[in-house]
Amino acid sequence: MTNTPRSRRLASRLLGSQEGIVFVLAATAFVVFALALPGFATPGNLVSLVRSVSVLGILALGMAIVVIGRGIDVAMIATMVVSVSWAFVIARTGYPLAEALVIGGAFALVAGILIGALIAYGDVPPIFATLAAGSIIYGLGRTFFFTLEMQNVPPGNDWFDFIGKSRVLGVPVTVIAFAVLCALAHFALTSTRFGWQTYAMGSNPNTARTTGVPMRAMVIAHYALSALVAYVAGLILASSASAINARLYNSTMIYDILLVIVLGGIGLNGGAGRIRNVVLGTIFVGILLNGMTILDVPFTIQNLVKGVVLLLAIVFDSLVNPRDEQTSQQGDL
Amino acid sequence: MTDVVEFRDATKAFRGNPAFRNVNLTLRKGEVLALVGENGAGKSTLTKVLAGLYRLTSGELRLEGAPVQFASPAEALRCGVAMVFQETNLIPSMTVAQNIFLGAENFFNRLRGVNIAAQQHLQSLNFPVEPTALVSSLGAAKKQMVEIARAVHHKARIFIFDEPTATLTPEEKQHFFALIGTLKKQDASIIFISHALEEALTIADRIAVLRDGQLIVADDAKNFTRERIVQAMVGRQLTAQLYGGETARRRVRKRGEKVLALENVTMGKAVRGATLSVYAGQITGMFGLVGAGRTEMMKIAAGVLKRDFWHGGRIKLRGEPVRFRVPRQAVERGVAYVTEDRKLDGLFESMRMAQNVFLGRLAMGANPVAYVTMAEARRQSERWLDALNVRAIDKNAKVIELSGGNQQKIVVAKSLIQNPSLIIFDEPTRGVDVGAIAEIHHMIQSLADAGAAVVVISSYLPEILSLSDRILVARQGRIVEEMTVDEATEEKIMYAAVH
Ligand SMILES: Nc1ncnc2c1ncn2[C@@H]1O[C@H](COP(=O)(O)OP(=O)(O)OP(=O)(O)O)[C@@H](O)[C@H]1O
Ligand SMILES: [Mg+2]
Repeated sequence: MTNTPRSRRLASRLLGSQEGIVFVLAATAFVVFALALPGFATPGNLVSLVRSVSVLGILALGMAIVVIGRGIDVAMIATMVVSVSWAFVIARTGYPLAEALVIGGAFALVAGILIGALIAYGDVPPIFATLAAGSIIYGLGRTFFFTLEMQNVPPGNDWFDFIGKSRVLGVPVTVIAFAVLCALAHFALTSTRFGWQTYAMGSNPNTARTTGVPMRAMVIAHYALSALVAYVAGLILASSASAINARLYNSTMIYDILLVIVLGGIGLNGGAGRIRNVVLGTIFVGILLNGMTILDVPFTIQNLVKGVVLLLAIVFDSLVNPRDEQTSQQGDL
Repeated sequence: MTDVVEFRDATKAFRGNPAFRNVNLTLRKGEVLALVGENGAGKSTLTKVLAGLYRLTSGELRLEGAPVQFASPAEALRCGVAMVFQETNLIPSMTVAQNIFLGAENFFNRLRGVNIAAQQHLQSLNFPVEPTALVSSLGAAKKQMVEIARAVHHKARIFIFDEPTATLTPEEKQHFFALIGTLKKQDASIIFISHALEEALTIADRIAVLRDGQLIVADDAKNFTRERIVQAMVGRQLTAQLYGGETARRRVRKRGEKVLALENVTMGKAVRGATLSVYAGQITGMFGLVGAGRTEMMKIAAGVLKRDFWHGGRIKLRGEPVRFRVPRQAVERGVAYVTEDRKLDGLFESMRMAQNVFLGRLAMGANPVAYVTMAEARRQSERWLDALNVRAIDKNAKVIELSGGNQQKIVVAKSLIQNPSLIIFDEPTRGVDVGAIAEIHHMIQSLADAGAAVVVISSYLPEILSLSDRILVARQGRIVEEMTVDEATEEKIMYAAVH
């Protein structure tokens, strides 16, 4: 096939990977919304679009690291709401907010370490361990740490608003935080021992073990990191909304994170995907949610659309990449 | 005899690099065709096209005269082509019976019916495998039997066996050859890939030799000798005789410090009170039949498996008692275990070759934020990839894209880069071509010469005899015999292993 037109080759390259497909879909959605919705392509809306998904993107970064190492952390939202809420409660009892925030962070860290230890030493499958841990953390939080669903940022802490509400050179600090964390995560995954071992664990945990990768320490580190990332995301969220709502635990947020991960092209089987996949997935989900919000699509329909998109992405991927050629493992049935 | 399969000017390229090119080859009805060639010559790829895994880049594949293009292995199977893969390909979480009937299920399968049918089927093939056993609990040899049983069950007319004998013991090999005879009598056609040239010479009707993706010669087996095959394979005369062609016995290495001692080590039913020692500066060969517990003993020593907590015996590393909970602890002390099952725990298939090898080195360090680059991985792994002569279509190839023998070399390299002082090779030359066997053997010898304690587990007696300074024979989870290579003969070793 020497005389394939250039455009065809480009198309097949773009559509030849899930990344490419999502990119094309995102671009299409963008153009359609831009043409159809007058308010969509305004600079103001675009900035608020990115800002609105920054928190989701940050959460997805934490999830990505865990998933690449062949785990999954569905306790992230619980960790996020409980640790941040608790920090606010402590601050309101008279401690300086900064100190309270350290305590909140320590709580998230401990929660992550315990979850990781449960998986690493107890051999509990991550999905069950984190599912259970999520409801335990949430239950503990609501019973012992705070009773109100809504926890406002303690008054008199204007500096705290900086992260969520201000801009530097016109760019919201939230977006900057997302970018910085992306850069950090990218570096950690591609250029450190931690990152290489994470990919190795995702690729084949048995081999990683026999080769001498410190599996338990790595697993604990993964969940500790995702818990810390969840805490940071929670702080940003609270700062921009001036409060944190524990109800988020019961929302679809955790599925949105997984949507970002899967859409972006990070295989749930581990060992595959990069940070740019998280960014891509985040932006796509952002366009989708923002467009639908402008269109005033009811919430339930929005969820339906998200579900359908997820399904399409997976089906499309398996159509374009049939399992027989290069991808195949010596012909699994 | 009629041609059932014909490759016409067939080429298959990956990313523009041909795995084989312009191959013209036929398979006749009722014949056994042996396909031989060096690692990476294109044997597996050629047969995978026939089995519906790959499609030709150019040229034609004809089945009984009609051009075909299989979209999937299932389609190929419907047309009567069954392939038994180089790497086992069963579903570990299912039972033997379920695996045999996979793809041929009735809408409702009665479990009992399936088990009985599988039992009869296995018996008719003379395979001692329990149909209700989980595949994950089987050893390599039995897995192989299940694969063969499955292919036979599908009533295929064309069978492809990709290195079927690599994991079999001599006795099982005899079963296998008898099975081939049976299939032949039923007018089935068989393609048989092997690195054991003697096997090709004895059981094949015709032999085809591939080199660098090109068909060098295809001729009746009776027109071949071992030398002619080797010459066609490598393109030159290979003078060095493999496996003890030298009559004068080589010097036996003296034992150095006692590096590893197992005392009465027990683990479930597999290892029952094993006692053995391994010394620095020499090669300790471990022989035994399948199920003798050799692999398990050494996996315990390397921390991959754990011995029983109560009455599990003692293990000493350089005189110091140890109880490894994870392999990492062993790796940190310079113990490396080179696995016999590369697909299970030998490779990171989705990663590049340099990454695979370098991860061996990387895993030894502790600082999680240590800076790592691909360039560094290439630089450090290059020496080992070169030393073992690993070949791929390009430097960035992922391990899954390597040929079987080259994958094996990656597993070896990944341990060598750890620079271990006690290294355990479990079937180190499985699936490796004649030339590469010599290279790997040479590598193992020089490790011992350099002072490392080396253990070689092998089910192939000539390999044990030509490598070891000292030989341990295992039976039923114990070491039953120890001898120096001077005292050893095949008969003596076999006798100890069986009785
Ligand atoms: N999916 C793939 N992608 C890229 N290259 C491949 C792929 N499969 C095989 N190759 C390359 O094609 C060549 C032939 O491989 P093949 O597996 O057919 O060798 P082989 O003759 O079976 O060797 P061995 O004896 O080691 O099993 C090798 O160089 C291999 O790296
Ligand atoms: Mg092969």
